[in-house]
Amino acid sequence: MSTHRPRKRKGLDNGAFGRVPKTSEALVNSEGPAFPLVAFLWPAKGSSLPWAVLPLILLAVGLFRWTTGFWGYSGFQSPPMHGDFEAQRHWLEITTHLPISRWYFHDLEWWGLDYPPLTAYHSWLLGKVGNLIEPSWFALYVSRGLDDHLLKVYMRATVLLSDYSTYVPGIIVFLRRYSRIEGVSLWESSIALVAILMQPATILIDHGHFQYNTVMLGFVLGSMSCMVWESPVWSCAFFVAALGFKQMALFYAPAVFAYLLGVCIFPRIRIGRFTGIALVTVVSFGLLFAPIALAGLRDSHYGIPPPDAPLPPLMLSLPVQLDKTAWYYQAVLQLAQAIHRIFPFARGLFEDKVANLWCAIHTFHKLHQYPSAIVQRAALLATTITIIPPCLLIFFKPRKQLLPLAFATTAWGFFLCSYQVHEKNVLLPLLPMTLLLAGEGGLSPSMRSWVGLANMLGVWTLYPLLQRDQLRVPYFTLTLLWAYLLGLPPTSLSAYASNEIKWPTKLLHLSFYLAMIVWHAAEGFVAPPSNKPDMWVVLNVLVGAAGFGVCYLWCLWMLVKKSGLVGSSKPLAKKQ
Amino acid sequence: MADMYPSITQTAVVATALKVLLWPAYKSTDFEVHRNWLAITYSLPVKEWYFENTSEWTLDYPPFFAYFEWILSQAAALVEPALLNVKSLGYDSWQTVYFQRATVIVTEFVLIYALHLYVKTSKDKRTAHAAALSILLSPGLLIIDHIHFQYNGFLYGVLVLSLVLARKQSTMLYSGLLFAALLCLKHIYLYLAPAYFVFLLRAYCLSPKSMFRIRWLNAIKLGSGIGAIFAAAFGPFAAWGQMDQLLSRLFPFSRGLCHAYWAPNVWSMYSFTDRVLIYVAPYLGLPVDQTAAKSLTRGLVGDTSFAVLPEIPPRTTFLLTLFFQTIFLFKLFRSPTWDTFISSVTMCGYASFLFGWHVHEKAILLIIIPFSLLALKDRRYLGAFRPLAVAGHVSIFPLLFTAQEFLVKTGYTVLWLVLFLLAFDRVVPPAPRERLFLLDRFSVAYVAVAIPLILYCSLLHQLVFGLKYEFLPLMFTSSYSAVGVVGSWVGFSVVYLAS
Repeated sequence: MSTHRPRKRKGLDNGAFGRVPKTSEALVNSEGPAFPLVAFLWPAKGSSLPWAVLPLILLAVGLFRWTTGFWGYSGFQSPPMHGDFEAQRHWLEITTHLPISRWYFHDLEWWGLDYPPLTAYHSWLLGKVGNLIEPSWFALYVSRGLDDHLLKVYMRATVLLSDYSTYVPGIIVFLRRYSRIEGVSLWESSIALVAILMQPATILIDHGHFQYNTVMLGFVLGSMSCMVWESPVWSCAFFVAALGFKQMALFYAPAVFAYLLGVCIFPRIRIGRFTGIALVTVVSFGLLFAPIALAGLRDSHYGIPPPDAPLPPLMLSLPVQLDKTAWYYQAVLQLAQAIHRIFPFARGLFEDKVANLWCAIHTFHKLHQYPSAIVQRAALLATTITIIPPCLLIFFKPRKQLLPLAFATTAWGFFLCSYQVHEKNVLLPLLPMTLLLAGEGGLSPSMRSWVGLANMLGVWTLYPLLQRDQLRVPYFTLTLLWAYLLGLPPTSLSAYASNEIKWPTKLLHLSFYLAMIVWHAAEGFVAPPSNKPDMWVVLNVLVGAAGFGVCYLWCLWMLVKKSGLVGSSKPLAKKQ
Repeated sequence: MADMYPSITQTAVVATALKVLLWPAYKSTDFEVHRNWLAITYSLPVKEWYFENTSEWTLDYPPFFAYFEWILSQAAALVEPALLNVKSLGYDSWQTVYFQRATVIVTEFVLIYALHLYVKTSKDKRTAHAAALSILLSPGLLIIDHIHFQYNGFLYGVLVLSLVLARKQSTMLYSGLLFAALLCLKHIYLYLAPAYFVFLLRAYCLSPKSMFRIRWLNAIKLGSGIGAIFAAAFGPFAAWGQMDQLLSRLFPFSRGLCHAYWAPNVWSMYSFTDRVLIYVAPYLGLPVDQTAAKSLTRGLVGDTSFAVLPEIPPRTTFLLTLFFQTIFLFKLFRSPTWDTFISSVTMCGYASFLFGWHVHEKAILLIIIPFSLLALKDRRYLGAFRPLAVAGHVSIFPLLFTAQEFLVKTGYTVLWLVLFLLAFDRVVPPAPRERLFLLDRFSVAYVAVAIPLILYCSLLHQLVFGLKYEFLPLMFTSSYSAVGVVGSWVGFSVVYLAS
């Protein structure tokens, strides 16, 4: 260096672009940062994290989210039914223009509301704001299938805002707490933060395809954070909010139940805590559905007749016949209709082509031939078998460190074996599994390779859906970018150069990557045989299901290992 | 230096991902301009290039750029031949958009290579690396090239390459030749030519010991090289007797003093003063030209005329530009070091931007990019650079006015400003001499005002006034930026002359 003596500044003793004290960490190899994402946070390395790092990360990942929104969305200019974008827009329309008692009844053929009440309230709020800006976007009846550019911008902005007020703070808070109990430094946890926020599947589905999954996932993260913070009561409230936003949060429910029950029993029985949890759960559900029930009460009070619709099956299956003139009748009707809409048991086993067990079996052995009751029971049985091991583990050993693995295993079990699964639901197992990056040894080659494989497979199984939405370019861009940042195939083999990963694992992973690459080449350039037009999609599903099965087994094995159930209890994390 | 991370390549990969995601973004008429040029160069004989006028966006760049378009059009023929028809005005199929946007990204590699070379040849690699990343990630290039649509990444890449080659005596010849080629790509760089002329004359053609001893071999090499390049560019057109037509395309003098959106220069402050004087003049007994008073408020396309202050003829602007360029070039002639050369190039950029005729707000890059190479020399330079970085980028905001792109331009610019102003502050070496207290404080206060201003111009104004007084935010932005640019110019002049 020259004769200049740089000014001393408190807490900023590392050069912004270089001159970082050498430490022996898993993230640094002989040539410098082990993978590009480490390089990007290199200037922030040091004893204390500069204040600007977090805002800069949020700005950067925000830009990628927003620009993904420049591309197509589900159902753009594809009449007659359009797609998820229209569904969400339509809910903004009906919730702002109709009384609550009509929400779950209104014209069900055109994207009738079939999400739980919190989604409806969320839609109402966004619709109110949207009506201030441009009332024609959400005008009753006449706004159907609208594809105005500014409407798209507004809807995209609502997703971004919802994301940044639930999911993003959820990740930040969870990581702060989880990294601390796992003994991970703030700097390393920031690297994991970027990796998690840049997950291609989540960005592509919410900001590309168009949905609000991040809100539900944000509530789940809130619930997990409270568990780590040893506040099970609030954890329940958050989880009810997640369920109340999107019923798919049920994927996690057994793990949540097992863990919360576990902390009430082990190491000693705590009746008070148990009562608190039960009470808060009931109250939260009560609050969630209160506006719906009150709307029914109000209608009967003013003598407004119930909506002209067939009775929900739930009402018919009640053991007692309700008096139609009773003051509570309409309230019960409202609740029954809401639940009927939220849980459509009448739909098929799976939608489209999903990379799960049933769709895979269906390819070789048609499942239509069995009565649906039997298939449903089989699904229930299979799901139970897959989720019992993780749930039992987390119940008997309710340790905070095990939460992401238990959540991931349970969600994989649901995704693979349960009934009525969408390909988009792969986001649910992917979230807790990706959180592992922030745990002990989370950025080591072995952990990165597994979390990476799950994410790459996950987004790859979404490709047929994304392709329909004109999202090919963002799919390749975001996926390759994520792989590049984390040093994963197809951009780099550096993670697999490590001796930490055994050769059977290497072979397994690389054959999955090879299959994905070959599939993309084939899908792009070779037309499927005319008698099997779905061949590429089916192959995608088969490979995906196999890969997810492997991910399930790995998560379960890691859970068993980490819980100390087997002899070699030292988790994979390489000790320095 | 093993610990300069992220590397230029890594940064370029991530930036490219963002640029690809921006493909469907708003694009200005410049997109159609370049599509039309692809069509002209592909489908017409060279003789007709500068005469073709089916589209209103006729070819008005020098011949090398036309050759460049011809090369691109060969690739376009493989991707989407339909865009190469001169008659298909406004054609923008998605293949066309993907192709043209991709060419901007690919040709920007010249800049990446130039920055790589810049870091490689710098003594203080740390500061050079930081400066290189700041240019690579420049919000100016992102907004102008990858959203608005132009090829500045490529052109400034050639400029930076030429500036870097001027570092060593052995490559100085190539620097000069490359600059000559750059002039044949886009003639806006003529504004920087005085600095090149003086530098190459003193450092390459005259002996370092005595300015009266001419190094003939060098002079001949440079002279004949430049001659050959200009001949390659303009020769054919001169042979066909088309020079008058070509020059009239390159230098359309019929345009007004201020461009549609006021570039933040002396003339926008002059216009602003004139606006204010309309209300003050009656009290001072000054005559007001009523027709001019009404026309300017639109702030849109067209000639601006002044209501109170005297009109400015083009000649005045040229004399002023030349004057402010020349006074700083004496120093370059006396001490032709690379640092002084870069300073003088920056100074030439400043003078032309501040005093030039019909200056585009985009021309701010003419100052920012050469200045960036020097901004981390020491703390005084950084003090002058800071207001320029803020003003320069805020001033190009009006280029994008759509809701969708608003978040990108502000989000990205704020990200860049926070990141690089903090990073620069940490790596910059202290000044060898005392800094100017006033300049330091000015620069802090100036940066602080930016936030409420951006808020007002992009949100509050619309909420308060709706669509009325559209010119107000533009005028505020322009005047605010002008204060910043002029302030940084004054600051830099002091540093330049004092060092």
